[in-house]
Amino acid sequence: MKCRKVLPAIFFGIVLSISTFLIAGEQGEPGKLLMNTIDSGLIILKDLSLQGADKTQERKQKLWNEISPIFNFEEMSKRTLGQYWKKRSPEEKKEFVELFTVILKDSYIGKTDTYSGEKIVYITEKQDKNYSMVQTKFITKNNTEILIDYRLINNQGKWKIYDVIIEGVSLINNYRSQFNTILLKSSYGELIQKIKEKKFISQK
Amino acid sequence: MRTSAILAFLFLSAICLYTTSASTDSIPVSESHSSEMVRDTKDSGEDTANKNNELKPIQVELESAFDREQSQPSEGQLTEAVSDQEDSDNDTDEDTTGDEEYEYADTELNISVIKDPIQPYNRKIYAFNDKAYYYVFKPMYTGYSKVVPEKARLSIGQFFLNIKMPIRLVNCLLQGKFKGAGTEAMRFVINTTVGIGGLFDPAKSKFHLERQDEDFGQTLAKYKLGQGYYIQWPLIGPSTIRDTVGYAGDVALNPLTLISFFIGPIEGFITKTYDDVNETSLGRGKTYESITTQAIDPYIALQDAYIQNRIKKIKE
Repeated sequence: MKCRKVLPAIFFGIVLSISTFLIAGEQGEPGKLLMNTIDSGLIILKDLSLQGADKTQERKQKLWNEISPIFNFEEMSKRTLGQYWKKRSPEEKKEFVELFTVILKDSYIGKTDTYSGEKIVYITEKQDKNYSMVQTKFITKNNTEILIDYRLINNQGKWKIYDVIIEGVSLINNYRSQFNTILLKSSYGELIQKIKEKKFISQK
Repeated sequence: MRTSAILAFLFLSAICLYTTSASTDSIPVSESHSSEMVRDTKDSGEDTANKNNELKPIQVELESAFDREQSQPSEGQLTEAVSDQEDSDNDTDEDTTGDEEYEYADTELNISVIKDPIQPYNRKIYAFNDKAYYYVFKPMYTGYSKVVPEKARLSIGQFFLNIKMPIRLVNCLLQGKFKGAGTEAMRFVINTTVGIGGLFDPAKSKFHLERQDEDFGQTLAKYKLGQGYYIQWPLIGPSTIRDTVGYAGDVALNPLTLISFFIGPIEGFITKTYDDVNETSLGRGKTYESITTQAIDPYIALQDAYIQNRIKKIKE
C-alpha cells in the first residue's frame, strides 16, 4: 500500500527536478549579433524562391554576402600562420588572407549544401574584455546534437568571429597544424602553391 | 575462439612494440627533440595558467614556443597538436583555479607536439583507409541507406548504443563519475523498458538523461597515462598508443564481443561490422568527408581533429 503512494511520489520528484534544467542565459552583444546573422542565413537557406539546382550559385552568393561580414579573415589568417605571419611582407599577407578566405568560404558554403531543417540553438556565452565565446548547439533532424563554439574578437567596437570550434575541434588550430607541418618541410612559396592547387580542385 | 582473441592481442602488442623500437632506432634525434619541446610547452602552459586573466600574453607565450620549435626543426617528424602532458596540466589547473577564462584561453594553448615518429608508415595506411572509405565503405553504406529508411537506422544505432552500456558505465566508475554511472544505469533501465529494448531513447527525450560518452582510452588519460605515438590503424582509423590499449579494453567490455565467444567469431565480426556501417550511414561518413575534403593536408587535418576531439572528451 505504502509502495503505491511512495513510488509515484519519487517518480514525480525525479521528473520535476530534471525538468528544471538549463535556464537560458541573457544574450550579450556578441551572442545577439551571431544569432541574428545565423537567423538571416537560415532565412536564405529556407527561401523557397532560391531552392533548386539552377539557383545554387545565387543562393551560395547571397548566403556568403550575409555571413561573411561577421568573420575577421585577417585575424584568422594571422592565427593560422602563427609565427610565420610576422615574417610575411604586406603583399604576402594580403594574398594569404585572400586565399584563406576562399578556403573558409568553400568549407562553410559546402557544409550548408546539405541543409535540411536543422536547428541552431544558443546556449551561453562568456566575455572577457575584447574576447568572447558564444556556445551554440546544432541539432540535426534526427536529434543528434553537435556543439559549436564561436570565438569572437572586438575590433574597434565590432565583434567578429576568429575561430569556430566544432565538438572540440578548432578550425584555426586544424589549419595551423596543417600549415605548420608543410612549413617545417618546405618553403612558404610551396605552401601557397599547395593552397592554390587545392583551390583549383575544389572549384571544379 | 579464445585463441583467436589471444592471437589478435599478441599481434597488436607486437605491432606496438615494433613501431616503438623502429622509431627509436631510426630517428633518435627527433626523439630527444620531442621530449624537449613537450617540456617547453608545458612550461609555457604553467606560465599562462598563473596569469590567466590576459589572453594576449598567451599569444606571446605561444609564439615563443613556436620560435623554439622552429629553431630546432627535426626531420619533419613532429607535428603540432596537444601533448598529453599539457593535458594533465589542464586537469590540475581546472581543479585549483576553476577559472572560466582559462577555459577559453585553452584553444590558444593547444599548441605542442603530438609524437608521430612513424608518420611515413601512417600516411600509407591513411591513403589506404581513404581509398577503402571511398571505394568500399561509402558505396556500402549509401546502398544500405537506400534500402533501410533513416528512422530504422537510427533505432538500430540506438539499440547498439544501449547494448554497449557496460563500456560507459564501467568507465564512469573507473573515472570516479558516480553520478554519470548512475545516469547510465537509469538510461539503460528506461531505454530497455520504455524504449522497447533500446530501439528508442526516451531517457534523453523525456527524462533529459544524456549519454555519458566515456571509454577506456579516456579513463587511461584520467590516470595520467600519456597518449604516446599517433597511429593510423588499417580500417579502424586514427588512434594513439593509449587509445589503442583503451580500444582493447572497450572490446573486452563490449557485450557484442560475447557473440564471438558464444555463437562464433564470424557472427561476432559481422555484427560489429554491421554496427559500424550503420553508424557510418548516420553521419560518421559525412564527418570524415568534411574534415578531409577541405584540407590542404588531409592526413594532418584528420590527426589534428582526432586529437582535439579526444582532448575535449577527456576533459568532460
